[in-house]
Amino acid sequence: MVTETKIHPLVEEYFRIDRMPHLACPGCGIGMVMKYTLMVIDELGIDPQKFTWVTGVGCSSRLPYAVWKGDCIDATHGRPLAMATGIKLARPELTVMVYTGDGDCLSIGGNHFIHACRRNVPITVVMFNNQIYGMTGGQVAPTTPLGYQTQTSPYGNIEEPFDGAKLAAAAGASYACRWTAFQPKRIATSLKKGLTSNGFSYIEVFSPCPTQFGRYALKLGDPVKLAMWTQQNTVDLKKAETMTSEELRSKIIVGEYIDVEKPSLVDRYAELFEKAKRS
Amino acid sequence: MMTAADVVKEGVYFVEGDEACAIGAIAAGCRFCSYYPITPVSEIAEAMAIMLPKLDGVAIQMEDEIGSMHAANGAIVAGLKAMTCTSGPGCSVHMDGYGWAIKNEIPVVIIDVQRAGPSNGVATLVGQGDFYQARYGPHGGNSEIIAIAPWNGQETFELIIEAFNLAQIYRCPVMFMMDEVIGHTREKLVVPPMKEIEAGLVDRIRDPGVPPEEYKSFGHLDTPEAISVPFPAAGDGYGLCLSPYTHNEMGYPSTTLKDQDRMARRLIQKVRANRDKLVKFESAFLDDATSVVVSYGCSARSSLTAVKNLRADGRKIGFFRLITLWPFMDKQIYELAEQADTIYVVECNLDGQLSREVQRASSGKAEVIHIGKAGVEMHTPYEVMDAIKQHLSGSSKG
Repeated sequence: MVTETKIHPLVEEYFRIDRMPHLACPGCGIGMVMKYTLMVIDELGIDPQKFTWVTGVGCSSRLPYAVWKGDCIDATHGRPLAMATGIKLARPELTVMVYTGDGDCLSIGGNHFIHACRRNVPITVVMFNNQIYGMTGGQVAPTTPLGYQTQTSPYGNIEEPFDGAKLAAAAGASYACRWTAFQPKRIATSLKKGLTSNGFSYIEVFSPCPTQFGRYALKLGDPVKLAMWTQQNTVDLKKAETMTSEELRSKIIVGEYIDVEKPSLVDRYAELFEKAKRS
Repeated sequence: MMTAADVVKEGVYFVEGDEACAIGAIAAGCRFCSYYPITPVSEIAEAMAIMLPKLDGVAIQMEDEIGSMHAANGAIVAGLKAMTCTSGPGCSVHMDGYGWAIKNEIPVVIIDVQRAGPSNGVATLVGQGDFYQARYGPHGGNSEIIAIAPWNGQETFELIIEAFNLAQIYRCPVMFMMDEVIGHTREKLVVPPMKEIEAGLVDRIRDPGVPPEEYKSFGHLDTPEAISVPFPAAGDGYGLCLSPYTHNEMGYPSTTLKDQDRMARRLIQKVRANRDKLVKFESAFLDDATSVVVSYGCSARSSLTAVKNLRADGRKIGFFRLITLWPFMDKQIYELAEQADTIYVVECNLDGQLSREVQRASSGKAEVIHIGKAGVEMHTPYEVMDAIKQHLSGSSKG
C-alpha cells in the first residue's frame, strides 16, 4: 500500500525537506512549538537568511538542528546562549533565536543563562521544559518536581526544582513567560513579542514527554493521558499567587513573569563605541 | 569613524609582551575579544577593552572561560576575526568550545599565557606546561591544530598577526602559546605603518563561489588537504550548518563510518599535509654542532645565552628554537638528531613535554636530554650550561 505524504506548506517553505520527517516522539511538544514558530516567522515576514537558529544539546536542540533553511548553529551542551551572544554582538542585524531545554539551559548552561539575562542580550530563547533528560534516557533534571521517580532518582527526586521564568525575570531578562505546548496562541503571541523586541526574551514551554517523563515520572506513557494531565495541572500565574507552595508542588504555572522595555546589550555597545571614540 | 591606523600607530614603544600581543591582534583585524580575568593575561584583555570599541569592535568579559570560548566562536560564525585570551587554568575550561572550534573548522585565535601548574599553580609566575594540552586537550582525538610560540615582545606582535593569518588559511584554531615571562617582560616594540601591516593580512573567503542552494557547509570533506576553504558567515545567505556532531558534507549529523572517517581525515590532513609550509623555527651555530639545544619561548632565551657561552669555551654546540609547536616538526627534529649526538631540550616543566616529542621525532638517532625546571622562575643560562656540562662530563663526550 502506498501512502501519500503531504507536506505542510510552511515546512516546504522554511524547512529542509531532506531532513524530514523530524525526530520527535509521538506526543512530544517540540514539534508542536516548531510549527507555531514557523507560523510566527511567516506572519512577521522574517527573511530566513537573516535569521540564525541556535541550539544546544538534548531533544530541544537535536530535533530542530539543520532543519531550518537559514543558518543552523548547534553549540555543545549548555552553550547556545554564549554562542548566540557572540553571533548577535558580531552581527546585530541578524535575528537570533535559541532553542534549548531544561537541562541545557538551567543545568549545564545555567551560568550562561543568568548572565545572558543580566546583559539583556537581544535574542529570543525558547526553553523546552519536559522536566526530565529525554535524549539520554530519562534522568532527573533541575526542573523535575520533588518526589518524582526518574532513572537517576529511583526512590523519588529529593531536590527542589528551579523556576526558569522567575529566574530569568530576577536575572534581568526584559521578557519572561511560561506556557504549555497546548497553548498555541499564547506561545505565538510571546514569540511575536520576542522576535520583534529589543531585549532578552525567555519563552518557557512545558513540553510533554510521553517517552520519558510520562512513562517514568507519571506512569503515563500515553500521549493523550499526558496531555490531559498537563491541562489538569496547569495553573495561571495570578491564581498561583493565592496558593501555598505545597498546593503548587508539581503544578505548571503559566503566565508572563516580566515584560519591560530597557536598553539591550547591543544598545549599550553602540553607546560605548561612541564614548570610546571621543576619549 | 576611526580606522586601525588611528589605534595602532606607527612608532617605537616600550611595552609588555601582553600589550604587544593586543596591539598586534588589533593590527591583524581582530574585532572581537572575549575573556575572563586571569593572571598573567589580564593585560591583554584590558588593552583590548580600551582599543576595540574605538573600532566598533566588541571586547566582552564573559561569565567564565567556557562562555568566552563559545562567544568567540559565535562571533567568527557571524563573520568577525575573533580571539579569546587566557592562561592554563582557563584553557582547561576552554576545552569544550575548543573542541567545537576544531570540529567546525573555526579560525579562532586562542592566547595562552602559560603559568606554573598544575591546577592554579602560581598565578603570577612562569611555566611551560600547556604544550600537550594545546594539542591533545580536547577529548576524542581525530584532529590537528596549529600552535605557535613567540620569544620576545617584537615577535609576539609579529606572530599574533601571523596567528590570525594561519587561522584563516587553514580554517583552524590557532593556539598562541606565550608564557608569563614573555607576557610581562617590557621590551622595545617597533610598530610599522598600518598600511604595511594591512598588505600582509589574510582575510577569510566569505564567498563560496556557488549559488546558495548548492552550498554545502563541509563540501570540502573529500579534499582533506585543501586550504583557503571558503567560510561564509551566518547571515550571508548560505544556510550554514555547524554542530558538535560528526557531520556529512552538508553539516548534517551522521553516524556512519564513512562520514566519521572523512571528517577525521579532513581535520588531520589540512594541517598535516601542509606541515612543510607551516612550520617555522630559528637556528644558530648548527654548522659544526655535535650537540644542539632545542627550546621555545622564554626558555629559548636562556638557552641561546648558554649556547653562546659554551661556544666561547670551545664546545661545538648549536641552538634550535621552535616557533611552530604544532604541528610538530618531525622532519627538522629528525635531521637535527641525525647530525647531533645529543639534543638538550630546555623547557619550563619537569615532566618533559617538548622533550618527549623531540625524543619521538628523533627516532633514536640522538640522545635526548631533558633540562627541565618546575616553573615559577625561568632557567638561568648558568643552569642550562651546568646541566649540559654535567651531562658531558658524565658521558665523557666533552
